[in-house]
Amino acid sequence: MDTFILIGITGIGLGALYFLVASGLSLIYGLMGVLNFAHGSFLTVGAFVGWWIAGKLGPDTSMIDFIIAMFVGGLAAGLFALLIEQLLITRLYDRHIDQALVTVGVSLVVGALLGGWFGNDLIMFPTPMWFLTAVNVGGAMIPADRIVYIATAIMLLIGNWILLKYTRIGLIIRAGVENRNMVNALGINVRRAFSTVFFLGGFAAGVGGVLVSVYSNGVSPLIAGSYLIYGFIVVVIGGMGSVPGSFLAAMMIGVIRQFANYYVTGLGDFVVVILLAGVLLIRPQGLLGKVRA
Amino acid sequence: MLRWKYSRPLLGLLLVVLAIAPLFTNNPLGKPGLQQTMAVAFVWGALALTYDLLFGFTGLLSFGHALYFATGVYVSCILINHDVVSWWLAALIAIAVSAILAFLVGAASLRTTGITFAMVTLAFGEAGHVIVNRNFFNLTGGENGIALNAENVPQIWIGVFNTKYIYWLALAALIFTYAVIWWVTESSAGKVFSALRDNEQRVQVLGLNTQHFKLLAFVISAALAAMLGFVMLIAAGSAAPRFAESGVTIALLLMVVIGGAVTRWGAVLGGIFYSFASTRMQDLTQQESFKSIPEWIGGPIAEPALLLGLIFILIVMFSPGGLSGAYYRLRLKAITRKSS
Repeated sequence: MDTFILIGITGIGLGALYFLVASGLSLIYGLMGVLNFAHGSFLTVGAFVGWWIAGKLGPDTSMIDFIIAMFVGGLAAGLFALLIEQLLITRLYDRHIDQALVTVGVSLVVGALLGGWFGNDLIMFPTPMWFLTAVNVGGAMIPADRIVYIATAIMLLIGNWILLKYTRIGLIIRAGVENRNMVNALGINVRRAFSTVFFLGGFAAGVGGVLVSVYSNGVSPLIAGSYLIYGFIVVVIGGMGSVPGSFLAAMMIGVIRQFANYYVTGLGDFVVVILLAGVLLIRPQGLLGKVRA
Repeated sequence: MLRWKYSRPLLGLLLVVLAIAPLFTNNPLGKPGLQQTMAVAFVWGALALTYDLLFGFTGLLSFGHALYFATGVYVSCILINHDVVSWWLAALIAIAVSAILAFLVGAASLRTTGITFAMVTLAFGEAGHVIVNRNFFNLTGGENGIALNAENVPQIWIGVFNTKYIYWLALAALIFTYAVIWWVTESSAGKVFSALRDNEQRVQVLGLNTQHFKLLAFVISAALAAMLGFVMLIAAGSAAPRFAESGVTIALLLMVVIGGAVTRWGAVLGGIFYSFASTRMQDLTQQESFKSIPEWIGGPIAEPALLLGLIFILIVMFSPGGLSGAYYRLRLKAITRKSS
């Protein structure tokens, strides 16, 4: 039973990391139709800025220091995402394939810059001592950092929900995902919603980047790789443009992957790909996605 | 016509020069170092062409093309190393396996279109990468890959002094791939491929089964990629997980976009340029004069991805047809100016 809880919560923790990447991808795709390969570099930028801030704040990183580092990392990634959107994406309006291509270029350039400056080896990320302790949940000793991942993901989900449900810009985003042309026809400028979504997606990815570097024991330009691919899979399974769908799919994939890997090493990745193929065959629009008109 | 009247004789001349240059030692191509670099570049050029068939001609943005290339590398390497069959039969079996795999994966993933198709093929491609990394049944050697058993292949491909034979093998593979792609894209099926890219609904209305044609393009390009995988195995001397990474497909995409899609020679040129540039740029940064550049500029420049990525972004933004597209635009301008 202990192992069962441990694997389950670790899986949810992993799913929380996937969700941080996938929520932005899903909204960006849902609203603008952009397949954003640069999302991995948002994550890396957030991780490096967070690492730099955490290093500046002192030798013994406290919980407050870590939260500040995480927040600033997210902010930096959000601003970087905004810059990419304004500089490159808006100029390729409605050329979806070219938009995807340009983001591939961005991810290469960012990877090369960071790799040239910091090298491709893992650099230790300073973490609070509390992360190394274990928390007793129902008799299972859970590493404390997993709790942080899950709490962050839930806060982000709630924040997202409040923004989308109760603000004007949120209303425009939701309407835009449903039918962008109609929103335009009503005389509302969707461009500002685009920028908001890019900033928020970048913010979530940056926060995710700081957490991913805790999970993988350090920062490097290469940490984003598998998370981006899992992010894509989560978005397809959860349904394009649906944040709750992404949350559900991320948790599902995290848990399923952990359990499969526990019983047969390396089985997890296969199970996820098979799950993806199954969802596509039975429900091509994803779990909570709507059929596009 | 946009084609320059001298282009074909000049291309023929270039091929003859490329083919006979290794026979003489008084030119750069007479040295094994450049022969090896060029052999690898030829394979990439041909591989970019197989990707152009998917992306440029048929409009399928696949992110899993590395899977079929890696199938060619690994299946032929495993069969040769374990001495199951002779090397040429191993290559043929690898091509067949890759075609069957492409048929199955294609049948599932072609149910989706556009960007979703890109994501699904990416996921299948990554599954392939995971398989070779996991080293199931001790076949693929995990992260280290497997070295080719030199005793089971013709001895003319082994050793530094025989590099010119690898060079000729790669050049022949490139010409063969070009011929097949030329034949396919000029055939009536090839016209349907292009029609699918331009307007799928219209093809459907004409009563053609669009899925069958897409699957055909998918399988042809996968089979050719597997053949090139075998050539890469001979050139590299080993099968390594880096051939199965999604980075391979992204590199192919860059090659095709930089060189220009749909022109055939554009993709080949883009592939050769990309491969040559990434190899030579690393050599360049090892030189003494490079050490004087400050670290914060020199470090990133040493990564080939920086320059290639920047070129790629600029081409997507400002010259969507790539280098060959820009060439045809200039030709068009010259012709219209002459006639007016």
